[in-house]
Amino acid sequence: MSVQLRFDPIELPPETQALRTEVREFVAREMPGESWPNSDFNQGHSPAFSRKLGERGWIGMTWPKAYGGGERSFFERYVVTEELLAAGAPVSAHWIADRQSGPLLLRYGTEAQRRQYLPRIAAGECYFSIGMSEPDSGSDLASVRTRAAQVDGGWLVNGAKIWTTDAHRNHHIIALVRTAPVGENRHAGLSQLLIDLDADGVTVRPIKNMAGGEDFNEVVFDDCLVPHEALIGEAGNGWTQVTSELGYERSGPERFLSAFRVLVEFVRHVGPDPDPDAAALIGKLASHLMTLRKMSISVAGMLQGGRTPAVEAALVKSVGNDFEKLLPELVRLQAPLLPSDHPLQRSLSQTLLHAPSFTIRGGTREILRGVIARGLGLR
Amino acid sequence: MEALIAETAERIFADHVDKDLLDRAEAPASGEFPDALWRVVQNAGLHLVGRPDSGSDLGDLFGLLKIAGRHALPLPLAEVLVANAVLPDVPEGSGFATIAVDGVAPWARAATRVLDLDGILHVSFTVEPGANIAGEPRDRVRLGRTAPVEVPGEVYRYMGLSRTSLMAGALERTMEMTVDYAMERIQFGRPIAKFQAIQHNLAVLAGEVAAAVRACDGAIEALGTVGADNQIAAAKARVGEAAGVVAEIAHQVHGAFGFTHEHSLHHYTRRLLAWRDEYGREREWQEQLGRRASARGADQLWDFITRGQ
Repeated sequence: MSVQLRFDPIELPPETQALRTEVREFVAREMPGESWPNSDFNQGHSPAFSRKLGERGWIGMTWPKAYGGGERSFFERYVVTEELLAAGAPVSAHWIADRQSGPLLLRYGTEAQRRQYLPRIAAGECYFSIGMSEPDSGSDLASVRTRAAQVDGGWLVNGAKIWTTDAHRNHHIIALVRTAPVGENRHAGLSQLLIDLDADGVTVRPIKNMAGGEDFNEVVFDDCLVPHEALIGEAGNGWTQVTSELGYERSGPERFLSAFRVLVEFVRHVGPDPDPDAAALIGKLASHLMTLRKMSISVAGMLQGGRTPAVEAALVKSVGNDFEKLLPELVRLQAPLLPSDHPLQRSLSQTLLHAPSFTIRGGTREILRGVIARGLGLR
Repeated sequence: MEALIAETAERIFADHVDKDLLDRAEAPASGEFPDALWRVVQNAGLHLVGRPDSGSDLGDLFGLLKIAGRHALPLPLAEVLVANAVLPDVPEGSGFATIAVDGVAPWARAATRVLDLDGILHVSFTVEPGANIAGEPRDRVRLGRTAPVEVPGEVYRYMGLSRTSLMAGALERTMEMTVDYAMERIQFGRPIAKFQAIQHNLAVLAGEVAAAVRACDGAIEALGTVGADNQIAAAKARVGEAAGVVAEIAHQVHGAFGFTHEHSLHHYTRRLLAWRDEYGREREWQEQLGRRASARGADQLWDFITRGQ
């Protein structure tokens, strides 16, 4: 076999325990008495909450201090993110900027871009959306048709992005655009541009989802002129850059915790001395969760070691998404029918209505399986 | 684990365990104890790994069992190692001690002593030969002379972790064999690995193997810490689940060849099916873990998950 997937047995360093306690106390203080129906990172866009996290130094934790970061480890960042998610905290506003836009700018951005954006992201004041999918380009990302032409004064952008989470309340989008015609190598000729969402020529239209929420959008660029300095990295290097983001996007605890509050409410419902079937179900789900955490922590350890474990990240997301879809299904079969306002039922309903998105956003199950198969040397 | 132990074990098992030896060691056909292999293992000192006075620890012991699982090692190495490492009061003697649970022990036919987890040491006995579904001898121990013996509570958990470790190794080997086969087998003019349906099955298989190995390693790392019991329970349950999924996909990819006795795949997949049952099915460990989690209560569930206790 040509490639071996590696999940080194890395554990969180003991010194992260103090930080964990600190985050728990913070959450208990800042969100008293709230009922959290799920742990989905897409739920709850709260600039006020994000700013408070920024004040604590819990955004941009691994970045250099020169750019407002904390120069802390990926393990510390892991602990903060999983604590916030497990509590169902409203983290959506800063989530993408912290997770991938900031790291992208850090790696490929110009010095001016880093100085302009990173400190404000770390302060919890500046929010980013991901501009990858288009109406005709989802899983086949290289087929994007939004184009940017170099003109006097910058880049003239035309086209449309879709499924753009929080574009109607975030500040910027990093759009993957075609800056050269499609040639033999379809991955060539792509570039990333940093565009203000309130710029002239940008129209943001919310799209209501099946759960009734308005989180994602269509973003249309109509002769939108952005300055030359909006280019991230090199023109034509967009594919390499965009795929480097995915390691960050796919391995985190948000890929297996979306349904966690269902389990919490189930444990509350069955009480401290559950019947054998309920106990076995709780144990089964706990064993999966404990294992997924270890896998995700292994990836954090590999990131800390300077590696880019893209295949391992895809694998965490793939196994994690299957788990967060399975969890509510198994719990509902073990729970009685309850009134719709019962906390367990509310949590189940919320999660089941959002579950279709778990295995689509951030790379579909099918795309991830293809990435894993490539990692195994099959393609 | 110690690199020297790992390298030694890998070399010895690779050199000595082949299809012919496995066929001869498996019951009911013959169930012949591989004496020559056992002597090589003893001469290398592998049977003492994990003993407090050996310079190695329990992490080495269970790491060694992962390697044994990779080779479907036809020896009761788990029993020998655990007996040596955590039951130093079991009297020394010639031959080896195996461990029985409910009166049934691996390779009792070749052992000189049998320790039953009910607290009985059999020093002279007769055996009624039996086997698990992998054909590994699992003999019922009868009559004979016995002595009471103190069995620490953790021995059952260690035996559960032994099966977890063996499974983790066998899972890795099963994945390698299955990926290799998919690349070699040509149908419709190309390797079946090129078909998306096969790729997706193998991706699922790889996910289960990765999860299983990580769960097992996590439990081994946790040995000696306060949360070790729960980490072992989680690992035995999770790895047992993976065993069933992986065996199923591996056979599907191998087609009819994998269903033949002549092919080696079944030496690993049958063991996976046997080991997930031995020392507690998934359900038993899930229930235990679920009870402990529930006792902490809903608002402490996350704390339980993160600390394993």
